[in-house]
Amino acid sequence: MKKHLLGMCVLPSVLFVAGCSCCDDAVAPQEAPAPAPAPVVEAPVAAAQIADVFYAFDSSALDPMSEAQLKENARWMMENPDATIVIEGHCDERGTNEYNIALGERRADSASNYLVNLGVEPSRIQTVSYGEERPFDPGHDEEAWAKNRRAHFVMQ
Amino acid sequence: MSQTSDPMHTLMTTPLYRMLHTWSFLVIFLFVSSPVLHAAESGEYIRIAKAGERRIPLALRGLDHERSKDAKYADGVDAIIRNGLEFTGMFAILGSPMNLFTDGNIFDTGSRRLNMASLGSVGAELYAGGVLERDGGDVVMHMEVYDVLSGRRLLGKSYRGDRKRLREPAHEFCADFVELLTGKPSVFRSRIAYVGLNGSEKEIFMADFDGVGAEQVTRTGGLAMTPSLSGDSSRLAYLAYIDGYPELHIMDMKRGRIVPVRKKGVKIDPAWRNGSSECATTFSFDGDQEIYLVRSDGSISRRLTRARGIDVSPSFSPDGRSMAFVSSRHGLPQIFVKDLLSGKERRLTFSGRYNTQPSWSPAGDKIAYTSMQKNGEINIFTINADGTGLRQLTYRTRHNEAPSWSPDGSMIMFSSSRNGQKKLYVMNADGRNQRSLNLPGEQMQPSWSLYK
Repeated sequence: MKKHLLGMCVLPSVLFVAGCSCCDDAVAPQEAPAPAPAPVVEAPVAAAQIADVFYAFDSSALDPMSEAQLKENARWMMENPDATIVIEGHCDERGTNEYNIALGERRADSASNYLVNLGVEPSRIQTVSYGEERPFDPGHDEEAWAKNRRAHFVMQ
Repeated sequence: MSQTSDPMHTLMTTPLYRMLHTWSFLVIFLFVSSPVLHAAESGEYIRIAKAGERRIPLALRGLDHERSKDAKYADGVDAIIRNGLEFTGMFAILGSPMNLFTDGNIFDTGSRRLNMASLGSVGAELYAGGVLERDGGDVVMHMEVYDVLSGRRLLGKSYRGDRKRLREPAHEFCADFVELLTGKPSVFRSRIAYVGLNGSEKEIFMADFDGVGAEQVTRTGGLAMTPSLSGDSSRLAYLAYIDGYPELHIMDMKRGRIVPVRKKGVKIDPAWRNGSSECATTFSFDGDQEIYLVRSDGSISRRLTRARGIDVSPSFSPDGRSMAFVSSRHGLPQIFVKDLLSGKERRLTFSGRYNTQPSWSPAGDKIAYTSMQKNGEINIFTINADGTGLRQLTYRTRHNEAPSWSPDGSMIMFSSSRNGQKKLYVMNADGRNQRSLNLPGEQMQPSWSLYK
């Protein structure tokens, strides 16, 4: 656990180190952590909060805000190594239902791929698309649409 | 035996023969008197109907009946025939004129004589009417159609049916009548599948062409979407969310058996390939969303697209050789056409930024699709298969979606939110005569096919 935290502290600059530390841990969990970190001395790190990320119209691209949240979500995954998640891709009501199922899957996949690149095991993530079928806000304006274009994180 | 020397060969090329062939089993049970139909006459009217951007003036007389207690059956049949003929959008229905019969017994179609001058004076070009009688639990309708100008009888036929199921004989008459004019299987031999909204749940329903007799087909308790009926309505393919994940389901309508197709990733918007028992659908198990042909046992027959980005919503030409589909390979979604023999693909739509939901016409000449416009409206367009002849069919009526052609190509069914809730609508193939099916609740994603 502590090892994960350490890994996550340097995560933004060395993604693959985080990935390796994660895998090592999975392969040899009994190995005693050699370094004796002193987290009390470090600046306190707040527990990571998992949250949803949002998209522009007809896009599955991640903007800086979404990337920042996904890093936070990856940290949460590291802190909770037993957790598995489902990422649901959602769309706003504009556009047509069939196309939005495809778009929703691309959103869920973009979020999932980002987490995997940060070192989260793919086996801990499932994705599903609901297109525009399960809106979070039933409204018909940009405020509602912006809330509905999301990758929704569900803890299993 | 040489086919060409067979006189039946010539007959088989006429639409009339095809119709009688299809219905031969009914002919045996239903005909009281033998039909009087001539292919030459039918051909004459096919020309009229094709030329017709206009409605044919039809004098429609309510069925005459000798016994007063048969009135409720006659009234019932009259309403079904009138509503059915109105539905086709082909007729301007006129009342029956005064002094219609010049001679004979009014309750005997064999003896009564029509006054063509009287019909002509009210502007009628066709006359349809008949006599109803009851035979135990059955009603028997002796029906006639006349061409007013020539005075010739175009159709004379009797229809028998259970008095509790008047729609069946009434629609058999409507089918014969309309097919006499168009030479094609009519809407009266067709069914629709569609999505019905029940709160946040979506389930698939089937109904007659006009929405009557709706039955719920799926009971997923969640989401069932994008139904596609095969050309003869023997199979239904659709997307169902089972335990939270989407599956393609292929239902054998006769046996009610469902083949679930489980693959990693999405399954989207299946469509049957004409002239085969295969449907095409989008899968993403290979990492990108591509269209594949799937056999009715659920196994994959062939991959059809190979472009990065979204490829969805296949719709096949009537000969099954070409496929229209939606692709985001250039960014926003546009309609493309693929020739399945050569493998060549071309972009079909260049007008509009967001074009989806292609539907290839039964005649093969047009493709209907929807375009999302800058003002947020979604409207239905048709375009020729070669990319010319763009035509907008709906205007200023919010979201008009999911066009599906009638099997004879004369009409398009779609969903519209023009009055708030999403409802099924029909219009003539040129966009005229748009009207709601007036079904309770909300519906979307119609799929229209022959079933008999």
